[in-house]
Amino acid sequence: MEYKEVIGIRRSIRYFDPDRPVEREKIQKILEAMRIASCAVNAHWLRAVVVQRSEIPQATLDSLKTPVTALVQELAPVHIYCYLNTGTVKEVEGARLRELVDVGALNPSHGWSHKFVDEFVYPQILVPFSENPAYPIAAAFDCGGAGTQGLLTAVDEGLGVCWTAFNAEPAKEMMDIPDDWIPLYVMNVGYPLESREAGGQRPRPPFEELYSEGKVGRPFPRDPKIVAELEQEKMFTTPAPLPNRKQEVRDLSRKLGLPE
Amino acid sequence: MELEQPIEQYQSVATWAKGLREQWGGDPLAEEPEKIEALAAFCQFDGRNPDELLAFCFLRRKETGVRFASVKRREAVAEQLRAFRTASELSGTEARRLTSNLLSFFIHNGIQMHTGMI
Repeated sequence: MEYKEVIGIRRSIRYFDPDRPVEREKIQKILEAMRIASCAVNAHWLRAVVVQRSEIPQATLDSLKTPVTALVQELAPVHIYCYLNTGTVKEVEGARLRELVDVGALNPSHGWSHKFVDEFVYPQILVPFSENPAYPIAAAFDCGGAGTQGLLTAVDEGLGVCWTAFNAEPAKEMMDIPDDWIPLYVMNVGYPLESREAGGQRPRPPFEELYSEGKVGRPFPRDPKIVAELEQEKMFTTPAPLPNRKQEVRDLSRKLGLPE
Repeated sequence: MELEQPIEQYQSVATWAKGLREQWGGDPLAEEPEKIEALAAFCQFDGRNPDELLAFCFLRRKETGVRFASVKRREAVAEQLRAFRTASELSGTEARRLTSNLLSFFIHNGIQMHTGMI
């Protein structure tokens, strides 16, 4: 698929084929996409643990669920548990920034050198930053970006995906999660039972409400020609609700024995 | 246990019927009598009417008086639902359908329940 189409057809899938396994190569592609995401100071805080749902004892699986995410976790054959490794900065001690200098990504033109990294950036910026209460928030932003690359790759591979929360304590025990990893979300992965449109593109807040130009309160003007262009490129698809959606949901509920 | 009035007249059943109509169109409770029959049978088994069953799921915070759905109460109801399903001696699709119909009653009354609990 073209990039914009992948964005346009992505949905949070909540009805998975519970019995159809996901090919290992597709899981690897998801992880590979996460790994090459943009990340501040090349730190790469995201850690992910892939678990086959069928290998989780039922009692443990039940304990991982939250009330509103339970069914998604129950149906998705693969769970990718995502964490933020807060120890990353101190573990690598600026080594990944030095790599960026070595490969010509960070250059003297922008003030970068090994000495700058070793004597200033790491000790005077990164270490204090990693001890600041706001540090996990900043790092989580990058984890989200990496996770999204994985998410979109899954869609491109014909899979359905849905981020959900999970109960951290049983997950920590199940996967031997280190103490300094912060639980983020679990990416539920599987083949969707829903149609490709899955009810249509979900409602979103108005563009102008979200994005400003110059100052907050001065909306970035939305050009309808661009909107039309993106429709052509399939980044915008038919808005939800599609006329057949309720019937589709009802049929899925009956197929899976779910409440209506 | 005999209900004190026709089951359709309980407020919680009216709310369920309204929720189903809004969700699916038509009048699912009237069109699919098995739904209401499942609830009536569960009430018989449990010994509480539909409104009492629903009220049991909620508690009020002592400090503020604000009503909230109790997790423990919900789990207690889930346990009763499991016992009822076992007692029904149904299996497979029929058992799932029975459970789904009962969960639907609670869901449309604002009690978040799912099949994994039962």
